[in-house]
Amino acid sequence: MKSRFGRRSAIVTAAIATALVISGCSSVNDSASEGSGDCGSYAIAMHAWGGYTASAQVLAEVAKQELGCTITQTTLEEGPVTYDAMEAGTIDVIIEDWGGGRWKDWSDRGAVVEAGENGNIGIIGMYVAPWMVEKYPDITDSKNLNKYASLFKTADSGGKGAWFEGPTGYTTIGEKMVSANKLNFKVIFSGSEAALVDGFIKAEANKTPFIGYAWQPWTLHSKLPTLEAARVKFPANDWSDPAAASGLTDYPSTPLIKLISKKLNDANDPFTSLVKNFKWTNADQNGVAADLEGGMSAEEAAKKWIAANAETVASWTGK
Amino acid sequence: MKVRKSYLLLASVTIWILLGRFLNGKHTLQIATYENTAFTSYVGEKALDLRGNRTESPAFVYFFNPIRGVIDGFVQAIRNLISVPTPNSVIPIIGWLGVVGIVAFAVYATSQWRTALLCVSLLLACGALGMWQFTMDSIAMTLAAVLLSLAVGIPLGIWAGLSDRVLKIFTPFLDLAQILPTLVYMAPIALVFMIGAASATIATMIYSIPIAIRITSHAIRSLNQAPVEAAESMGSTQKQKLTKVQIPMAKQMIVLGINQTVMAAVSFVVIAALIGAPGLGKPVIEALIIRNVGQGFVAGFAVVFLAILLDRSTSAAAKRQVSFVPATDKQIKTKRITLIVGGILAVVSVILSRTMLWAAVWPKEVTIAPQVAKVTNNITAWILENLTIFTVGFKDLISYGFLNPLETQLAASPWYVTVAMIVALALIIAGTRTAIMAFVLSMAIVLSGLWYEAMLTLTQTIVGCLLTMIIGLALGIWSGRSDRAEKVMRPFLDAGQTLPAFVYLVPMLGLFGPTRFTAIATGIVYAIPVVVKIVSEGIRAVPHALVEAATAAGSTTRQIITKVQLPAAKKTILLATNQGLIYVLAVVVIGGFVGAGGLGYLVIAGNSKPELQGKGLIAGVAILLLGVIFDRIMQAGARRSS
Repeated sequence: MKSRFGRRSAIVTAAIATALVISGCSSVNDSASEGSGDCGSYAIAMHAWGGYTASAQVLAEVAKQELGCTITQTTLEEGPVTYDAMEAGTIDVIIEDWGGGRWKDWSDRGAVVEAGENGNIGIIGMYVAPWMVEKYPDITDSKNLNKYASLFKTADSGGKGAWFEGPTGYTTIGEKMVSANKLNFKVIFSGSEAALVDGFIKAEANKTPFIGYAWQPWTLHSKLPTLEAARVKFPANDWSDPAAASGLTDYPSTPLIKLISKKLNDANDPFTSLVKNFKWTNADQNGVAADLEGGMSAEEAAKKWIAANAETVASWTGK
Repeated sequence: MKVRKSYLLLASVTIWILLGRFLNGKHTLQIATYENTAFTSYVGEKALDLRGNRTESPAFVYFFNPIRGVIDGFVQAIRNLISVPTPNSVIPIIGWLGVVGIVAFAVYATSQWRTALLCVSLLLACGALGMWQFTMDSIAMTLAAVLLSLAVGIPLGIWAGLSDRVLKIFTPFLDLAQILPTLVYMAPIALVFMIGAASATIATMIYSIPIAIRITSHAIRSLNQAPVEAAESMGSTQKQKLTKVQIPMAKQMIVLGINQTVMAAVSFVVIAALIGAPGLGKPVIEALIIRNVGQGFVAGFAVVFLAILLDRSTSAAAKRQVSFVPATDKQIKTKRITLIVGGILAVVSVILSRTMLWAAVWPKEVTIAPQVAKVTNNITAWILENLTIFTVGFKDLISYGFLNPLETQLAASPWYVTVAMIVALALIIAGTRTAIMAFVLSMAIVLSGLWYEAMLTLTQTIVGCLLTMIIGLALGIWSGRSDRAEKVMRPFLDAGQTLPAFVYLVPMLGLFGPTRFTAIATGIVYAIPVVVKIVSEGIRAVPHALVEAATAAGSTTRQIITKVQLPAAKKTILLATNQGLIYVLAVVVIGGFVGAGGLGYLVIAGNSKPELQGKGLIAGVAILLLGVIFDRIMQAGARRSS
């Protein structure tokens, strides 16, 4: 019996070995490479919010179509995770970064290089469910929030109003805002974009009170068109660094930044200049993001925008 | 003795509640999330230094970075084989048809055609879900982690199998590794090995090596000693004894260990994506972030399929039936011919997958992903629309009835009251040694500055564990008493154990909103299968004679359960509770993603905010300490109760 199994495993090994040897030989696919000579092979970080996906996909399609680059798109969390990946050489581009200078440690070391603004302006704030504005018109003034605090009570908010803070990694100063303005609210860390979307959509549908962190450009605005009017206004901002924020004031609006790896910066090839020249508006991004939201694939949505905006694309590629 | 113990417990809990009421809100050690203590900011600075040193310091240049390079290269080589295009090519070395051919042939050769058919259908299903490349990436990652784990784990396991001293040194580490929630050690690993395949592989190995060690050493230890002694008496050297007798005899069980190691690695597929593992975890986590339940389930199903595939193909090899009737010449010949034909077919499929595009790249047209996503989306939407009233009501009931009072008791009491009570409980339940350990570890959490958050997490864990035990006991008793119930539940329990918690975190979010209860509910779903399995086994292990005697004496079913089966299975039930607690803790911390706060949120925040990095790392350690405290108390309690 032993010899039988021995023979059998010998056959198995031989067959698998043959398969592997054959696969080692050259064949059709080796010649079918995509890239053309002057543009190399790069990786774009894909952060998982709709707006980012829109920008990154358009960049990727332009690079592939117009420059013949080989592009990989890697999904990973924003912030240090991605900066580390850039330092390790596995990521080359962040097309939209919101964090005011949090990459400083990496850029000081030369691992990450700032590549200018991408044209989008980020607006952050605290928003109430849109239906509330009609019913309580003065609620969008931060001074009146306490008047309505009891409306926002939940099982989790310890007798105060529930204040749904932004996802991890986003610039958030909710705790400071609550304490500096003496608001009768408890900060609940939603932890993810999903949690906020869920909160706003449900609150609007069921006409339940909700106050949460939201931003522009964001695809939620296409689902709740009146959301922007539901922003609670705090006194104008006086800070750019979250650590220095007093909490009395609102979030500043931020020009969004492009970051590239040292490798891409040094390469100085057509993709480098494409990334450096990439610039578009909030309306551009929201348009593509809305297509995505409507069920179009990222590739299709990007190609549609590229076809309609040949001039802008030409100004990026210099062709 | 027993009565006194329960009186003592009651008395201390009463004192605790009174003290908590009286001193409510004082000395809670609560600090704002953005604030650091001196300790956490020190750790944060060290971590930043470490990042900065990664290109220069000798420890990195000569040790960590080479390790990272080698593992990265290893993973990349396997990925090039089956998943990603090699440089200068658009397809991997072996296309999908080739992979299917090789898997079919290898499984057929090591077990039966039925298993081979199952494995092929599962692979094709992953492809049809639109997840071919992600699945191949996950297989590559699993393969790399398993091979490396076995290379480390089997030798260490053999060593621990032969030497009592070595086993004694290993045991605490093996125990610790089983308690360690996976979310905890990913940040430190990523800090040293950076985000990417290497970190993910190492994190997976930390999880799977202990299992390989445990089962291998157990395999060596549980051998029939007669042949070993015979070999000794015939004058075999130590080496001969090991290689000619012990290892061959233990082979079957070591293969089982391989199976368990593979399963451990697969269960890591999703969470490893948080630190850059390529594979099925990516679409799952993406689905969480953009809240696409359908997409999450599509990828989640692929994870389950992959787990079943790897389980069946490796366990089939371990359980291979060796017939006592020797095969006839004709049977041997038939098998050999089918093997040769199968081998040729496999080779042909590989050649095709290298020459024909349709056999190389999974055809996009062949997909059921949109349908699956639509169906799961519709089901979830229906549930959300129709059941939210109940779920929200239930959530509020649990929140007001249990969570809030317990949170007030644990977190809003002064820290010294809560610490004293934990120590007192440990003393009563588990004895002096455990009480001292509980005191030291609790004080470590206090000194770390994260006591308040730790108590929030503990509250959620306790409530989650209670609910898990209520449901788990009921289902476990049912499945322990009825073969049919066991048979019906089995596939659900198996699927529940492999379906990644992230997949149902999103629907839970829909049902319960961004709240603590969402985390708890997710933890319950994750912990129930293991609790049900342990309880059911415990009930089954109760001697038949006992049950029959009670039946003969005219006991009702209820009496049999409460007076005979439950008391006889008490120890198992305590162990199930312990497992439940550890499982709930491991998932409750993921609840940081959905508004549950606590230590889990700090870990996640530390990953994305540089200024909170130290706090996040310490939060991870605090989760581990909490786990150790309660694991030790319950284990010692279970030992004493028997």
